[in-house]
Amino acid sequence: MKLKNSLLLIIMLCVGITANAQWKKNKANEDTKIWRYDLECEGIAKQGSKLVKVWSYSKNPKHAISRGMKNAVHGIIFKGYAGGGQGCTSFKPLVKSAETEAKFKDFFDKFFLDGGEYLKYVSAATDGSIAAGDRLKVSRREYKIGIIVNVQSDQLRKRLEKEGIIRGLTSGF
Amino acid sequence: MKKHYQLVITLCFMLLSSVVFSQAKKPTLMVVPSDVWCNQNGYMLSFNDQGTLVKIPDYKKAFQENPEVIQVISHINGMMADRGFPLKNMESAIKTLNSNSAEDNMRTSKASGSAVSESPIDALKKVAKADIIIQLTWTVNKTGPKKSITFNLQGLDAYTDKQVATAVGTGAPSFSAEIPVLLEEAVLAHMDNFSESLQTHFDDMFENGREIIVRIQKWDDWDGNLETEFDGEELGIIIEDWLADNTVKGRFSTTDMTEDMALFEQVRIPLYNNKGRAIDARRYVRDLSKFLKSPPYNIQNKLVMKGLGRATIILGSK
Repeated sequence: MKLKNSLLLIIMLCVGITANAQWKKNKANEDTKIWRYDLECEGIAKQGSKLVKVWSYSKNPKHAISRGMKNAVHGIIFKGYAGGGQGCTSFKPLVKSAETEAKFKDFFDKFFLDGGEYLKYVSAATDGSIAAGDRLKVSRREYKIGIIVNVQSDQLRKRLEKEGIIRGLTSGF
Repeated sequence: MKKHYQLVITLCFMLLSSVVFSQAKKPTLMVVPSDVWCNQNGYMLSFNDQGTLVKIPDYKKAFQENPEVIQVISHINGMMADRGFPLKNMESAIKTLNSNSAEDNMRTSKASGSAVSESPIDALKKVAKADIIIQLTWTVNKTGPKKSITFNLQGLDAYTDKQVATAVGTGAPSFSAEIPVLLEEAVLAHMDNFSESLQTHFDDMFENGREIIVRIQKWDDWDGNLETEFDGEELGIIIEDWLADNTVKGRFSTTDMTEDMALFEQVRIPLYNNKGRAIDARRYVRDLSKFLKSPPYNIQNKLVMKGLGRATIILGSK
């Protein structure tokens, strides 16, 4: 009897943990579903890369951190950034047309899946710790978290060229 | 069965040839230090032209004495090659021209001892050239101990003289960084924007055609001119009509038209002819040349070309 109760308890615990994890994941996806983030240049990176600080918004600071990389890759593809300090010049997004995202929706949905291909093109530029000035509480229930990442923009561009989403410099020649 | 095989093979060849010919003519690009940079850094040749002091850039000296210019050009070449667009290297082009010239001077025919033929025009044309010149300028700004670099890249179409791409800006000032490091940062910071504007130019070219310049001139001994009438229409107007019919969306501008010459700019020519083959200014203007040679005009003419984008027809004879 005792064994039966313990087994039931373990099963319930497992189900609970899984459901909680799934809920958290969904919550994080919900927060970033509308691609609400800000992108700024953080300096001149090595050739073929962009060093950017991405500010993500979320009710939970952990979600904002976990979504930062996804937002950064999305930003390089669709938003670009204005210039700024540290010798930064403006960067136009790789995809110019607003319709392209809708046209290649299937590709981008798959590309930006959790653990998806976008991870190949981004890496953390710091040791993971977030400076106090980069963790802002913007309202009673919302945080704005800034993380610095390195996006391999040249590789990303080549990938999109290969997919026919954007034209390369040599297209047509 | 054999017939089927032959049909399939023929279709494959047709497909292959259409793929081969569907590539537009690729322009060549070359980075050239600007006159301003050469002047500021003392790489100029001066000579007296009938009382006027004329200065021209001494590129050879710049490449031999300034390691920074080699570094910047090498960096730009590398980044463009990475995008599938390797550039012509000016230093090598100058060396090749010199060695070719030396070889041509020494070469004689085994049979007759004759030298290689070269007209004065050919001699004039022997310069390092490209379809798009990337003009490079940088200046080092100093404010106390702080240094920064103002960097300017201009992509200039060698035929239309238009600026087709650009990237310009001043980098962040630094107390400690050395000039080569600041230059490297400047190239990294600006090349994306430069490629971007070049891409916009190519996109426009694919949509609206290649922009060329067409000049019409006449030999002095020809008894006709551009005001000569054929069926009540002046020759100049007939040429304009031909251009209107054969340019993309009828786009061209008549910049100058006198009885002896005409200059047409912003002439948008299609990238391919009706056989699907890539064409340049020469191929395009050759059709105009044939048109003028045919009845009722019967005007003999000479076609002279300059790269992908400039062609001249001289009316009267070959």
